[in-house]
Amino acid sequence: MSSARCTRCVLSSSFPGLTFDGEGVCSFCRGELMLTSEESAVEHARRQVEQLFAVRTRPYDAVLCNSGGKDSSYTLKLAVEKYGLRVLSFTLDNGFISPKAFENIRCVVDALGVDHLTVRPSMQILRRIFKAAALLPIYRDKTLTRISAGCNACISIVNTTGLRLALEKSAPFILAGFTLGQIPANAIVYRNNFRFLAESREESLGRLRAAVGREVDEYYGIGDSLLDRAGPSPHNVNLLCLERVTDEEIVQAVQVLGWQRPKDVDGCSSNCQLNTFNNHVHQRRFGYSPYELELSHLIRKGLMSREEALEKIADQPLEQLAAIASRLELSPPERVALWIPPGRPPA
Amino acid sequence: MPQHEDAHAASQIDEVRSALLAFVTRSFMVNEADIDRDRSLIDQGVIDSFGLVEITAFIFQQFAVEVREEDMTREAFGSLNKMARFVARRMREHA
Repeated sequence: MSSARCTRCVLSSSFPGLTFDGEGVCSFCRGELMLTSEESAVEHARRQVEQLFAVRTRPYDAVLCNSGGKDSSYTLKLAVEKYGLRVLSFTLDNGFISPKAFENIRCVVDALGVDHLTVRPSMQILRRIFKAAALLPIYRDKTLTRISAGCNACISIVNTTGLRLALEKSAPFILAGFTLGQIPANAIVYRNNFRFLAESREESLGRLRAAVGREVDEYYGIGDSLLDRAGPSPHNVNLLCLERVTDEEIVQAVQVLGWQRPKDVDGCSSNCQLNTFNNHVHQRRFGYSPYELELSHLIRKGLMSREEALEKIADQPLEQLAAIASRLELSPPERVALWIPPGRPPA
Repeated sequence: MPQHEDAHAASQIDEVRSALLAFVTRSFMVNEADIDRDRSLIDQGVIDSFGLVEITAFIFQQFAVEVREEDMTREAFGSLNKMARFVARRMREHA
């Protein structure tokens, strides 16, 4: 499925809620959908960070969700070198992290002298979760405008794991490498009430539980005993949103620490091979890439050209789909349902 | 509560609900008719956790009501109607 795009950014006409003027410019680019002034939100977040980081905690100030990609590597560098935080870095190994990304994680945490944990959930369960997210309407369509269902399933485990670690270690901050466009400007620094969010997400978790089994609660839930004995919720802080920096500048900065771009991932990821599969399913289902909102934001901010963004969206190694489908143990009818060419059947 | 105060509270809730509804429909690109005002906006798929952060920022900007972590409960934020009642109550408390 393909569709026309905004002539200024890369949003497709199939993106929900968009309108286009006579010159093909979308309502985002015309400024009609601005929620709040981004500059004032960033400035407010900067003041919050200054105030919050003035108090230091032992053994860790922050837990960092480290995917091994360029953005989380750069966020770790900022946390340590610019803000002087004591960081516990962790990676959720979803079974599809590029080997090069693991090398990058080792290089960067060693160069910055940071403690690091790798958390690897059962691959049997993860496989079932990723399959369910791709095949079934686990999440509402509205949830999936800026993220694919598979990435949403994965990032929710990352967020829960990050919160659990922060509560266990009494770390007051959780850091992640989100950029503006991936998240709204008001969410650079925020706190959430986990119990309320968990209650609010019970419908989608219930659908996932029905498809995968009760084991999902281990990965998406936090026990009452930990929540009860913990103090206030940690602040989630997205330091990268405070920087005005291009993709290339980020890569250059982390290369100094030994980071190298993996060659076995698509143009929108610098760590995860499953991203190509998730993008493919999202593109076929909704008619647009889950990265369009984020890339369009970077174009509007002058941090990326439209051509670069289009290249990233087009850089999808679709020849890897059959192999990923095999690793997910998709049956032939499931492959057909997900528009994946036939390949080697599951062993 | 005297009757006129009751009526004032009800109209304040209406006013907050209208403002919240306008914000949600515009910001999250949904039609008014698609929003069940008695169900969680997250459950309905209208917003995600970041959307919740945006709504709390809007409430602060528009009504000068600060939403604390402990305020984020099913009782206060479990639906658009509940949010409107929560915000209006806070405004009265601080009037």
